[in-house]
Amino acid sequence: MRMDRTQRGWALASVAILAGSAVIYVLYAFGFPQGARGRSAIGLTFGVVGFAFMIFAALLGARKRVPTWRVGRAQAWMRGHLWLGFLALPIILFHGGFHFGGALTRVLMWLLIITVLSGVFGAALQHCIPRLMTAEVPLETIYDEIGHVRSLLREEADRAVESVCGPIGLRKTSDTEVRRAGGFTALRAIAASAVPLRTSAAVSAGASAAVAAAPEIILLSEEESAPLRRFYLQEMRPFLDHPERRGQRLGDGQKAASAFAGLQTLLSAAARATLEDLADICDEARQLQRQARLHHWLHGWLLVHIPLSLALILLGAVHAVMALRY
Amino acid sequence: MARTRTTKQLAQRIDLNYFKRPTPLKRAKFWLSVLLPLLALVWIAERTIFKDSLVYSGGRLSEPHAVLEKECAACHQQQTGAFSAKATDSACLACHDGPIHHDTQTKSLACAACHMEHRGRVNLRAASNQDCTECHADLKVSSGAVHFASHVHSIDDGHPEFAALRDGARDPGTIKLNHAIHMKPIRRGPNGPIVNLVCGDCHRPAVVSATWAYADFRSVDRTPSYARKVLDASFADNSATLKPSRPMSGRELMAPVKFATACAGCHSLAFDRRFEEGVPHDTAEVIDVFLRQKFAAYVATHSNELREMQNPDRELTGKRLPPSSRVVTPGQWVAQQVAIAEELLWHKTCAQCHTLAMTALPDTSIARWEAASAQSSGRGPTGQVESVVAESGPRPKIAPAKITTRWMPHAKFDHSAHTGFTCVSCHEKALTSTEASDILLPGIATCQKCHAPGAEHAEARCFECHTYHDWSKRKEVTPTFTLPALRSGEIGVGIRSNNGR
Repeated sequence: MRMDRTQRGWALASVAILAGSAVIYVLYAFGFPQGARGRSAIGLTFGVVGFAFMIFAALLGARKRVPTWRVGRAQAWMRGHLWLGFLALPIILFHGGFHFGGALTRVLMWLLIITVLSGVFGAALQHCIPRLMTAEVPLETIYDEIGHVRSLLREEADRAVESVCGPIGLRKTSDTEVRRAGGFTALRAIAASAVPLRTSAAVSAGASAAVAAAPEIILLSEEESAPLRRFYLQEMRPFLDHPERRGQRLGDGQKAASAFAGLQTLLSAAARATLEDLADICDEARQLQRQARLHHWLHGWLLVHIPLSLALILLGAVHAVMALRY
Repeated sequence: MARTRTTKQLAQRIDLNYFKRPTPLKRAKFWLSVLLPLLALVWIAERTIFKDSLVYSGGRLSEPHAVLEKECAACHQQQTGAFSAKATDSACLACHDGPIHHDTQTKSLACAACHMEHRGRVNLRAASNQDCTECHADLKVSSGAVHFASHVHSIDDGHPEFAALRDGARDPGTIKLNHAIHMKPIRRGPNGPIVNLVCGDCHRPAVVSATWAYADFRSVDRTPSYARKVLDASFADNSATLKPSRPMSGRELMAPVKFATACAGCHSLAFDRRFEEGVPHDTAEVIDVFLRQKFAAYVATHSNELREMQNPDRELTGKRLPPSSRVVTPGQWVAQQVAIAEELLWHKTCAQCHTLAMTALPDTSIARWEAASAQSSGRGPTGQVESVVAESGPRPKIAPAKITTRWMPHAKFDHSAHTGFTCVSCHEKALTSTEASDILLPGIATCQKCHAPGAEHAEARCFECHTYHDWSKRKEVTPTFTLPALRSGEIGVGIRSNNGR
């Protein structure tokens, strides 16, 4: 969620709550003989309010799991989660009088601090990364599908290379994977020995018929295609298999362009279109890799935030009950 | 032809059921969300199984209670059938008494109102000012009139000047002393060197055993006959002060100044040229006996002293003079010398510092001849020294010294905590005081220079000087704990059973 002007109402309300709480805390902490105490009436009130904020923030998860749950707009829930969750930290600090107390309360306090800080970090990332993603990854796809799309790109590249070099001895992917290949050289003819390719129309129809071989395609001789074959097998295919590996020339846009330009000088003009396709595939693979990386930043913090917040709620409830006892 | 892709084509490569497939990120999130709360639950369950309630502690206990750190039930006594196990006053009183502050106080506070536990290794006796000002900011008593300042908020807000310094109060002591003279370079005795006295040459706490610079070592070990009475009077504390809970170390207050250790080095109690030794610093009766014994012993070995020559100056009176020389009996001689010596002592030596009350002092000018003639008729023959020794003339009453050892009966002060500072930095009036009745106690303003609120100042809370509990009303506590119970965690059970009885 972006932190824009739409957050102003929540921001002002939160600042007002924080300021009011701070004033009450100062008056109470300096007015009471032993300073702020969690068990005093005001201390307990801070505790109850802080825990209520935490519960509300945690309920966002439930709200997301049950989208049909019509209790307020999702956006309002998200804003409430952000601001009330953030407020929980100072309110709970007021509750404890800035003392971390014993074992349980100390664990709770650190859980709360880490949860809130990770939340703030996440909110900052959620504010910045989507814009970055839009700018840098125009071919963005669903994160969960990145691996699959990448395999389709690999398949497409295999076929493109084989269309000019002939069979290069690579393992064929299953028909199911081919079916979701996405963009490819739809109308380009392929060599007689090529694997079945399908047009976008064919993909839409779900048909499995192969595209007829195009007579104008020229299959390069083994000697002519050797540079491409070597480049593909030694450099591009490994890149498409593992784009996350460091030090690969194709992982960098400029170096990749230079590599393809150099390759073009070694090949006949008939392979030019294929080379362009391969460069395009590499670019998409790079974008997907960039998307995956940004996605890890965008959602990785949740690995800390969510488990810790659940533990916090659980232990917070234990603390509330045991505080009543002792 | 270049790769052509439409949005539709891009969309078609997506598996519509992709969200049903777990990704590593989703899987990690799920398992962490299960495992971490589970871990927390296991931790709490494990602590519960092992009956370790310490995990719920609000913080560490103070040092005196540290031994009970794991013995929650020692203070948190759960009543049968009740869920709550809050710490109560009865748990505190099971180990130590907490006498009330004053009989006329209007509020009664729970122990935990001032002594809050679970705040770490803090001084549990360090109650906050608010604990005190709850009453003292607007002091009311249940009966009678309020005798204390009734609107005190802190040391720098409403705290009155020390009672000893209010309303032109004077030192009740009767010893005449000019502090200003003693603080300047001064001659030690009539023919002694110039010396510079420091406060510690005369004023020290009772337990300090360092050598006294101006003591008379012949009389240091001698216990004067008045000692018990004077010491009892000095340390008798009959005021309505709140007694401390623990015995004092002896370094808090200055001991009354003793003649033998502080004065005798300069102020000799010489009484006659024949003797180097002075009279003992004691009562007039003791001095009288001492003089008689001293002169009798002397005359026994100096019989030539019995033949006396009249002072030629007497001829100027115009009266008929007695024989120009005569021989007196030893008894007469002793009585005569004692009278002369006592005249010197009562009129000058003792009177220099002490206030003496005496109805009729002997006439100094004719004492020796009258004494001789008076004694001559009633005394025995020469050599009857013993009967002479028993005789006694008019003796003065020496006023009690009335040295005040504790100027602030409602507060405690510890000199040993202030040893880093020179005496006159607080007792600055000592440099200029000429009257013994001047009270040299520093005022509250002197204390406030260091003791003020704020981190850069010394402790300024009320407890630093004042005591809440009146420990003179202390009741002895029946022991409750046993070491085996402490080790086995059965302390709480023991307390409950004792309370039940």
